[in-house]
Amino acid sequence: MSEEFKVFAEGGGVDPSFWRGLTEQRFSRRGLMKAAGAGAGASLLLSSGAGATALPNKNVGTAKWWAKQKLHHTVNFANWPLYIDVLNGKHLSLQHFTQTTKIKVNYFEVIQDNASFYAKIRPSLAAGQSTGYDIVVMTNNNPELGYLMQNGWLVPLDHKLMTNFNKYAGPLIKSPSWDPGNKYTMAWQSGWTSVAYNAKHVKNPGDSIQILFDKKYAGKIGMLSDPFELGSAGLLAIGVEPFSSTEKDWAKAAKKLQTQRSDGLVAAYYDQSYIQHLKNGDTVVSQCYSGDIFQANLNSKYKDLVLMVPKEGLMLWTDNMCIPLYAQNPLDAMELMDFYYSPMTQAVVEYYNDYICPVPSAKQQLLHPTGWDAAALKAMAPSIGLATSVTADSPSVFPTPDRVKLSKDYYPFKNQEEINAWNNLFLPIIQGA
Amino acid sequence: MEQPVPPDHPGRVTNRHHRRVGRALAPYLLSLPSGLWLLLLFLVPLVLMLSLSLKTCSPSTGACVMAWHWGEFSSEMSLYHQEFITSLYFAAASTVVDLIISFPIAYWIAFYGGRRKNFFLLMLLVPFFVSFVIRTIVWEFVLSNNGVILGALKHIHLLPSGFHILGTSYAVMAGLAYNYLPFTALPLYVALERIDRRVLEAAYDLYATKRVGFMKVIMPLAVPGIFAAFLLTFIPMFGDYVNQEILGGTSNTMIGTVIQNQFLVTLDYAGGASLSAILLVVALLGIFLYARLLGSRTIEQYL
Repeated sequence: MSEEFKVFAEGGGVDPSFWRGLTEQRFSRRGLMKAAGAGAGASLLLSSGAGATALPNKNVGTAKWWAKQKLHHTVNFANWPLYIDVLNGKHLSLQHFTQTTKIKVNYFEVIQDNASFYAKIRPSLAAGQSTGYDIVVMTNNNPELGYLMQNGWLVPLDHKLMTNFNKYAGPLIKSPSWDPGNKYTMAWQSGWTSVAYNAKHVKNPGDSIQILFDKKYAGKIGMLSDPFELGSAGLLAIGVEPFSSTEKDWAKAAKKLQTQRSDGLVAAYYDQSYIQHLKNGDTVVSQCYSGDIFQANLNSKYKDLVLMVPKEGLMLWTDNMCIPLYAQNPLDAMELMDFYYSPMTQAVVEYYNDYICPVPSAKQQLLHPTGWDAAALKAMAPSIGLATSVTADSPSVFPTPDRVKLSKDYYPFKNQEEINAWNNLFLPIIQGA
Repeated sequence: MEQPVPPDHPGRVTNRHHRRVGRALAPYLLSLPSGLWLLLLFLVPLVLMLSLSLKTCSPSTGACVMAWHWGEFSSEMSLYHQEFITSLYFAAASTVVDLIISFPIAYWIAFYGGRRKNFFLLMLLVPFFVSFVIRTIVWEFVLSNNGVILGALKHIHLLPSGFHILGTSYAVMAGLAYNYLPFTALPLYVALERIDRRVLEAAYDLYATKRVGFMKVIMPLAVPGIFAAFLLTFIPMFGDYVNQEILGGTSNTMIGTVIQNQFLVTLDYAGGASLSAILLVVALLGIFLYARLLGSRTIEQYL
């Protein structure tokens, strides 16, 4: 019988000290030492695992590795909601893919934002297990895509299986700054973060991002709550290229945005809901995503919403398909990703989507469909309710050279300290009391 | 009926030693399930959260290393003290509103509810069968600029067209007060219900007026209930973020929103955990004060 136990037994009855005992922790000195030792050992393991040793994808994605892969005739695709052609709840492009390749696609619209989705797949990857997805779509304007690359958590792509990509990929997304040589990623769609205004309330908008700081529209200006979008707008406004900016520039931009806020110019910092507030008149000028404005214009009620092309630049973001490490069906994933670089496929996707098309030649396909896309576009026409030529001629889908020239890249974070510094500057503006 | 045999009854000698050990162990064995429950679902998570706030975590790999980083608390406080103050203010104000609203309701049900008391209590709770988030989103519609109420009032020119509630502190407090009303009403009801009516009758027999009876008998007896209601409402409101997220604007961020963002947006688990720890300490301080002022027994009666 242990020492403690004897005390209890002799005491008998319900002793008040027992109740205290339940709520107070009693550590023996030895136990404490042991716990501390175990903790130290664990942390050592972690740090060595993250630093010195080779990345977990060291032997993955080589020619030899790819040669060993086999088709499993199934692929699990995680994407953002409302980001692929839809007709009566079905995706014609995916159906066609399954018909021609006999690969079944499980399509999941599970990504609401980069950070929270990353937090969901991270534990599996850190434990060396499959995330359950063969393709995930991550944006280049948030740190998470960079995390995946730095940790060696992506499968390097097999360029031999990228025939469509090599042939049709447009210059905006081919070998981009965030993934030189497309080692890990292929773009799904791109878009611009820019400024939109309501022409009914804003006369003489001009062509400058300074409209977001115009006192005339105090209390009616909408900004985005994503710190990377907010900060980039601030940098453009002080005349600095976000891609090549320094921490000193960030501080200046933050100051400008802080003043914008304290002067009462900002109605609120919105997520995707900004478009609702722009539509119902809570805001008259707002930061915006290009595709939303194009889609809003299709409804005659919102014809007054105009996408501005500021002379300071348009922030170009891209959602990238990539294969997370330990994926079960990498070969099927490659097939699917390259299928989406066929101009016919992109014509069908773009007719629904209205974001920047990664395949410029899809424009011709929209105007003069030649294959399976003809039937698909025809079937979709009644529910889309506009001619395919409208999509083909939209500069938001197939950018004109001047817009390509004005497209700016986001700042490429080099390490966590930089991300923290950025967050510490711009988050307090968004969530300040 | 069989009487329990006193443990030291001279007639009972069999297995005496065995029984004595069993008797000594009984309370511990009986409290084992609840003790384990407390340990696994309260103490362990609590210790994990506290230790997390002293670690440095990598948002990239999710790996956390103990760094004994006590400075985390002060640096978080220097960044977000204003949000704490806002939360304190909102929670306190909304709790007072809830007390003012629910006291007459609880009083009426307790004293005049008659046979239908349970029915009235159920009616009070019916709206709360709907999910918390849905209820708050409905408030967004109710308070929206051109919604049912403001739209109508603006239409008949009782309000200027630029008037708005959504996005202001008042919208957040209205949402808080609505969502936490049962947490105030039910403890108040319990407190008022258990007041011995004979005491009240005695007061009337001694020529107390209704007013004096209320002020000198009912109120003092209801005070522990009011405190319990205050605490039960105030503490969850203090950490709430749903109401501010849905109904608030730029200038009324609550600390719950900051914590939520740190966990889900910036993946800063250490920062979120340290703010949660501070939140917990403030809540514990409240309970401690309560126990000091009114004794720890009274709170148990209303839970």
